[in-house]
Amino acid sequence: MQIRDYLIRRLMVLPILLIGVSIIVFTLTRIGGSPIGIYLSHEMTPEEVEQLEERYGLNEPLPVQYLAWAGGVLSGDLGWSGVAVAPVTAVFGDKLTATMELATAAGIVAVTLGITLGTFAGSRRDRLPDHLTRVFSVSGSSMPDFWFAILLLIVFWVYLGWFPIGRSDPAIWASIAHPTGLYTVDSLMAGSWQALRDAIWHLILPAMTLGLATTAIITRMMRSSLVEELNEDYVDAARAKGLPERLVLKRHARRNALIPTVTVIGLSFGFLLQGTVVVEILYQWPGMGRWLADAVLRGDQATIMAYVLFTSVLFLTVNLAVDIIYAYLDRRVVLGS
Amino acid sequence: MAEVAQHPPVVTTPVSGPLAVRLRRLGEIVRQVLRNPVTVIGLVIIVLMFTMALLAPVITTPNEPNPYQMPRDWSALNEPPGTPGHPLGTTAHGGDVLYGIIWGSRTSLRLSLIVVGVTVTIGTIVGSLAGYLGGKVDEFLMRVVDIFLAIPELIFALAIAAMLGPSFTNIILALAVVYWVKYARIIRGQIMHIKQNDYVDSARVIGDSKFHIYAKDVLPNSFTPVMVQATMDMGSIVLVGATLSFIGLAEAGLAEWGVLVSEGQVGISTGRWWASTFPGLMIFLWALAFNLVGDGLRDVLDPRTESR
Repeated sequence: MQIRDYLIRRLMVLPILLIGVSIIVFTLTRIGGSPIGIYLSHEMTPEEVEQLEERYGLNEPLPVQYLAWAGGVLSGDLGWSGVAVAPVTAVFGDKLTATMELATAAGIVAVTLGITLGTFAGSRRDRLPDHLTRVFSVSGSSMPDFWFAILLLIVFWVYLGWFPIGRSDPAIWASIAHPTGLYTVDSLMAGSWQALRDAIWHLILPAMTLGLATTAIITRMMRSSLVEELNEDYVDAARAKGLPERLVLKRHARRNALIPTVTVIGLSFGFLLQGTVVVEILYQWPGMGRWLADAVLRGDQATIMAYVLFTSVLFLTVNLAVDIIYAYLDRRVVLGS
Repeated sequence: MAEVAQHPPVVTTPVSGPLAVRLRRLGEIVRQVLRNPVTVIGLVIIVLMFTMALLAPVITTPNEPNPYQMPRDWSALNEPPGTPGHPLGTTAHGGDVLYGIIWGSRTSLRLSLIVVGVTVTIGTIVGSLAGYLGGKVDEFLMRVVDIFLAIPELIFALAIAAMLGPSFTNIILALAVVYWVKYARIIRGQIMHIKQNDYVDSARVIGDSKFHIYAKDVLPNSFTPVMVQATMDMGSIVLVGATLSFIGLAEAGLAEWGVLVSEGQVGISTGRWWASTFPGLMIFLWALAFNLVGDGLRDVLDPRTESR
């Protein structure tokens, strides 16, 4: 009952947050002056400018302009992307799938590595592996991802030539059909090992770069919650009844230690998403991050607005989902406090 | 301050008393912090960075008219480290990497101090209003905070800086708009918690004014987690600021680490690794140092949380 009430309350707040975010996004586009600049040219007379303003509703008061814009967004009109030279909605899908593939790969790296390292360190508290893991996780969260990417590129791309940049080998990409837009999935569906190998080969460096900071966060969280769990009475009880240490760790402590870690994993999703901006620039990955970076440099307002709105909606939804999962996993949580 | 004057003289304790206690407590904290070797490493890096920033005009010949702009030596393009006059090499535009690193530390110091100062102040004001007044004010302010938190930090800062136009000042502004929210949340939570303490009730019973209780009992005791967060942010703000300038939101040719990494990045495919590697290392060390010290501070100030 408690969880249901909590869920309802959270869902009721969600629209307020979304309206708030949309107001912020709209305000942002107006702090740089009227967006009429995109359509202007030197040869226009003041009358023509006025006509243009009237045509796009830019002579209306700001609240009216906001409502017109919000109405457009709700009906699926996100404006014209100057960078992509197409409506935002027309290119959105392709860019999103490219980014999602990268973020998912990075997420898999981070979760697997983070939980493994965290367990390893937490079960060897204050011994050398624990100290080394700590060095790794503090370094990982202090590392500028664009610099880490450059270091990897210098070593593995320039000097060793082991890994390529970009998303695919164009010839191999063209050799299979792309029903989902996710290269790995498409190559599996086409049954092409060559394409799958190409897809994974291109994913390794960017996924490692993008996943590093998240791996560090998950490792820290897993380590500390495992240390906490190992001090609990039930662990002593399990040991006392003669359970081997390996099973105490695997069946009891690690399972409970995973609960707070799940929250961190969920929250680091936003982290992964924003990391794609620099990772995609450096590895020439044709996703949303690089699109945003181009848009930022060329003042493409529609793209920036769409991106901020989209990531916020996604971020809010994921956070809500994480909170609900957490509440189910750990009934001790006092909801809404 | 007027309210402090209204304070009944009967209950005022001698100023030296609590001050001495506070100083002794501070001394204890410093000793405890210094006991952790990892924290000391962090502190040493910070001291070195700050010294470099402060001595920049002495150890280099400042570029005229604007020392924060990279000097260009057009006769020495892409020189590798070890070249006479350019110990760390030059960029593709003839910028001396060492000059950029030294003046970049000054840029980073300015960036982090301004942003942390401004955001802690705004966060403290908003968080105090919400936590101390409660009710409708709290409800409203916390919804605003939630809305700000709904947009991922880097994306938010990126969008603000982009709309304001590319300049380092706008990066500072953008980061200030994004980062105050955390502090508001922390302060509010702390105040709500501390308000329930007995000593706050006692102060109320003996007739202390609301503002006096806030300034004397509530705020100082709420500040511990803010100090930890602010230390961490001194590092992460430089990290995010450098990311924004790497993407291209600062002035080209600014002596700033992110700009330098970006300028050097074009050369890596032809084997010119130095122009990106050294400035990037500085960003890493800066962030690392503040992370280490922040961690150490948290261990000492808040013993309940296990070091993570």
